[in-house]
Amino acid sequence: MKAITTFFRQPWLFAFAAAIAVWIATAAFTQGQGAGEVLSVAFTFATFFVIVAIGQMFVVTLGPGNVDLSIPATMTLAGTVSMKIMDGLNWMILPGYLIAVAVGVVVGVLNVGLIRVLRIPPIIATLSSSFIIQSAAIWYNRGLRVKPPTMLADFTTAKIAGMPILALLVILIAAVMHVVLNRTIYGRTVIAIGQNARAARLAGLEVNRVRFLTYVMCAVFAASCGYVLAGFSGGAALNMGQEYLLASVAVVVIGGTSVAGGFSNIPGLWGAALFLFLLVTMLNTFGLGAGVRLLLTGLIIIAVITLAGGSRSSER
Amino acid sequence: MTPRITALSLALLAATAMTPAQADTSDKRIALSNNYAGNSWRQAMLQSWEKVAEEAVGEGVVAEADAFTTAENQVTEQAAQIQNLILQGYDAIVLNAASPEGLNGAVREACDAGVTVVSFDGIVTEPCAWRIAVDFKQMGKDEVSFLAEQLPEGGSLLEIRGLAGVFVDDEISAGIHEGVSEHPDFKIVGSVHGDWAQDVAQKAVAGILPSLPEINGVVTQGGDGYGAAQAFRAAGRDMPIIVMGNRHDELTWWKEQKDANGYVTMSVSIAPGVSTLAFWVAQQILDGADVPKDLTVPFLRIDQDNLEDGLANTEEGGVANIEYSLDDAKEVISAAQ
Repeated sequence: MKAITTFFRQPWLFAFAAAIAVWIATAAFTQGQGAGEVLSVAFTFATFFVIVAIGQMFVVTLGPGNVDLSIPATMTLAGTVSMKIMDGLNWMILPGYLIAVAVGVVVGVLNVGLIRVLRIPPIIATLSSSFIIQSAAIWYNRGLRVKPPTMLADFTTAKIAGMPILALLVILIAAVMHVVLNRTIYGRTVIAIGQNARAARLAGLEVNRVRFLTYVMCAVFAASCGYVLAGFSGGAALNMGQEYLLASVAVVVIGGTSVAGGFSNIPGLWGAALFLFLLVTMLNTFGLGAGVRLLLTGLIIIAVITLAGGSRSSER
Repeated sequence: MTPRITALSLALLAATAMTPAQADTSDKRIALSNNYAGNSWRQAMLQSWEKVAEEAVGEGVVAEADAFTTAENQVTEQAAQIQNLILQGYDAIVLNAASPEGLNGAVREACDAGVTVVSFDGIVTEPCAWRIAVDFKQMGKDEVSFLAEQLPEGGSLLEIRGLAGVFVDDEISAGIHEGVSEHPDFKIVGSVHGDWAQDVAQKAVAGILPSLPEINGVVTQGGDGYGAAQAFRAAGRDMPIIVMGNRHDELTWWKEQKDANGYVTMSVSIAPGVSTLAFWVAQQILDGADVPKDLTVPFLRIDQDNLEDGLANTEEGGVANIEYSLDDAKEVISAAQ
């Protein structure tokens, strides 16, 4: 009995429940036609949201005011630079990925530099660095769409029994990050800083180093997402990261992570990413006008967050 | 700059730039106020402006023709930018506006200060400004009449729209729906918003496709055709006729399909070089020409037989483009009179 009540108190449960409800509603509308395919497509696109959301979640967990707004620009720059350097050559896939990671590391260091050395609040620091990064991407390639290597394109679009391979890989990464968050000194330190940065510092935790690592890690996740997304959609585009800024925050929050920091969970990211995609698909399938669609999207997200948030506060 | 140096440099400019035909505008300064630069269309638009403006300045047609782009695509930011341009004493502001109504206050201020305002693409409704508008409705209708030629028996259409709530999106869509009502054999069975971005369109189409019957044609708004094609391919569906929007990736994909299996479609959009049309119109107004307030931009349409030429005139990663000349501008002006 206790196990069941604990299960129902999991903050990520609502995201999954909402995703399943929306999926059933879509399937009911089409009398079951294509329900399996919709789910397969949802996993394909949710994967990209989850990759960036993992990084964003760790940053948000660091506590009030911590958020990375440079994610879209980092995705664009990493995608652009790696695609151009790989130039469609299959043997360049690994070096190309390492270059994308290097872009992420540089961006992360730049962000932390602005936050720590110049003492700029993270929200402003990452916003201004995103302008610099986006300009670098424009300057580097002026929006030129270089085709990805064929093997990379095949890998990012491959499926086993309807399940995208990339999604399976990211589920595995999410599982690893779940352990990192809950079972390692690094992960526990991130949570401790989010709950009370002063207490964490007085307890002798390496607050600055952990912050540094977290921002760099977030940028590396964003860069990796830009790399696979460019491979998936036939090349990098200047506006490829645009919708990932708000989406990354939305996925984190709907997934049951506290915006105030200190409480977070990884499974919810998958639930929330699937939910967001299925929600848009459902409203598209219903054939509602754009205004109604946006209105409903907003209302449903508010409803889910309220439900999830309500259960959390009663828990404490 | 002190007034004396300004006067001196103006005198110098006037002395060096004595090209007889356009002598009247040789001391005029034109600014481009642009609200967004983050996609390939806007990049090409700025490049075309740069190219034509540089030539015009070099030949002494105008004294200056600088481009300014706001960082955040915000109405307030562009309004502040316009106020700055007024203070800097430009004679004309060529404007691609973030909002049709939101900038009217700033545009009014510019007019009151004696500045000529020419809006294009993203036009403003303030009556004192000139408007070089695109007949987006006609563009939507053209798409459907092309599909009617190709599919005389009609069929199911998927509509990919642009960015919700934007004027252009409403207009193209209205044209498409008007076209469909003229050709009742067609039925729009699904509609998604692709935000004029291949990745967004791909995602939206992939999501709705499983619930749709066989699709015969896809009506688009440009920047979304390649993404739609990717989604159809990934779903293992028969490739419908996807109307393209002159983007390099779209034309390249079309060329590949044409060579491989004789795929037929058409492509239509506005050339980013329309900024240069606006430049020449502004120059003509400053020159004292009688220019009607409402002008129409010509479409740039690519068909099966001129695909290769169209592709050759499209910069890699850009949009099929042409730069307009002074004569083109005069033609557009006389067509409106």
